[in-house]
Amino acid sequence: MTSVSSCSSNTSCTCGGLSLSDVSVHYGNFAAIREVSLTIPDCQITALVGPSGCGKSSLLHAMNRLTDLIPGCRVEGSVRDGVGRELTDPSLDVMSLRRRIGMVFQKPNPFPHSIRRNFEIPLREHGVSRSDLPDLMEKSLRDVGLWEEVSSRLDESAMKLSGGQQQRLCIARALALDPEVILFDEPCSALDPLASAVVEEHIAALRGRVTVVIVTHNLAQARRLADHVGVFWMRAGAGTIVEEGPAEVVFASPSDADARYYLSGVRG
Amino acid sequence: MKSPVSRRNHRRFSDLACGIVGAVAASLTLVVLGCIVWDLLRLGLPHLSWLFLTGEVADGGRSGGIGPVLVSTVMIVVIALAVAIPPGVGCALWLSEFVRPGTVPARAITGGVDLLASVPSIVFGLFGMAFFAQVLGLGFSILSGGLTLACMILPLLVRTTLTALQSLPVDLRPSAAALGLTQTTTIRKILLPAALPGILVGVTIGVARSLSETAALIFTSGYATRWPDSPGDSGRALSVHIYDLAMNIPNGAAAASASALVLLLMILVINSFASFLAERWLRRYHS
Repeated sequence: MTSVSSCSSNTSCTCGGLSLSDVSVHYGNFAAIREVSLTIPDCQITALVGPSGCGKSSLLHAMNRLTDLIPGCRVEGSVRDGVGRELTDPSLDVMSLRRRIGMVFQKPNPFPHSIRRNFEIPLREHGVSRSDLPDLMEKSLRDVGLWEEVSSRLDESAMKLSGGQQQRLCIARALALDPEVILFDEPCSALDPLASAVVEEHIAALRGRVTVVIVTHNLAQARRLADHVGVFWMRAGAGTIVEEGPAEVVFASPSDADARYYLSGVRG
Repeated sequence: MKSPVSRRNHRRFSDLACGIVGAVAASLTLVVLGCIVWDLLRLGLPHLSWLFLTGEVADGGRSGGIGPVLVSTVMIVVIALAVAIPPGVGCALWLSEFVRPGTVPARAITGGVDLLASVPSIVFGLFGMAFFAQVLGLGFSILSGGLTLACMILPLLVRTTLTALQSLPVDLRPSAAALGLTQTTTIRKILLPAALPGILVGVTIGVARSLSETAALIFTSGYATRWPDSPGDSGRALSVHIYDLAMNIPNGAAAASASALVLLLMILVINSFASFLAERWLRRYHS
């Protein structure tokens, strides 16, 4: 495993973006999203916003092939990483793909084991030697501001932590694998406002170091965090992206009428 | 029409009556347990001694002890668990992690497991005698008895393990997958350890059922009261010994009560030990 590649500025960063073209996700006969094309810039924070049920999470799940786990789910189109590899290729090693493209879920989901074990299991799975574990764990916990809070009780159950701490642990666990991209699926919506602010602060701190894609219902959060924005809306019974671009442009002058109403708070 | 005051009184009375009926019903269950324990203590306690626990069976069980019977019992239970736990846990894992619920294979297996669980133990006994003792040629032996009990507790282990696995948070699986963990790692390092308290409960009930089983063992592990040399020997289980003393041996009631007391204590100890382990595990890993 390579050491953590941290970039000091966006220009020197090589963590890798994603480019999606004509991606559709079907559950059986139901089309959740149809023909979505999106460019996710390298090392920036891309926010996906839009009403519920527009397929934002489905698109996120398609990016690291978690859609493979859902029976009857079919993904069409192309998802390519920073160096142009096709991620929908069935012969791709999905396990190493998911190490490179991590995910943090809506509900904090640490394993019901000790804090230490939460790092040990994934890191050992990806070939990190036992002697490297403590340093990597400490570094990742420091990255999310959790080290001071938990360093004295690493062998206690992760379930004893508060909701916000659990979510930061999940972010640290994903970071420990040195991913190029982290997908966040409404990471703050299950947390109280104070915990949410802390988590958000640490997501913002990832800018320039990893590529972040965040699905959020919180437009204010999207405004605070995003460098790049994609707005989802329903078209012909399926979700699609109706507006995409740099955050300042999308928020200031969206060209699509639905996006304009949604972002201004008139609809959605 | 009743006045508001009398309606209020009526409601108060009915609440009180409900409480009293509940309390009586609850104390009745304690009374039943108390009667059983009192009876066993009264008849059995004078008979109980170190010699009784370790000594050989003499005079059909009226005198001597139950040493060989205890050894046979432990051997039968250990064989039953060793044989039943791997396929029981494996079957539950397959049902919970590898097949979609509601599909034909899943329904066939769960239906079969439930049917097996409802088979009376005497039928297991007859099957064990026909198959293990006669077809496989194991004869009346501790091994035949253990294998028969394994068949009997298998559905119980499948059900409890399945319930334990299904009660884990559903998002453990996608969160493990999102970290690039294989299904094998997820099962081995995350799901099974998390489900362990539930599995342990299943094993404990399995042990308790095995210890108290008579019908399935009379035809399979046999009656022999000598010290068993190997699992190939015939060996009398404690419950069979109690049955024999109570039904076939004149004046065997005292020894039967003492043996029943030992059985009760064994089950009590195993239950407490299992709940102690489960609690410790829960405290360590779940909030």
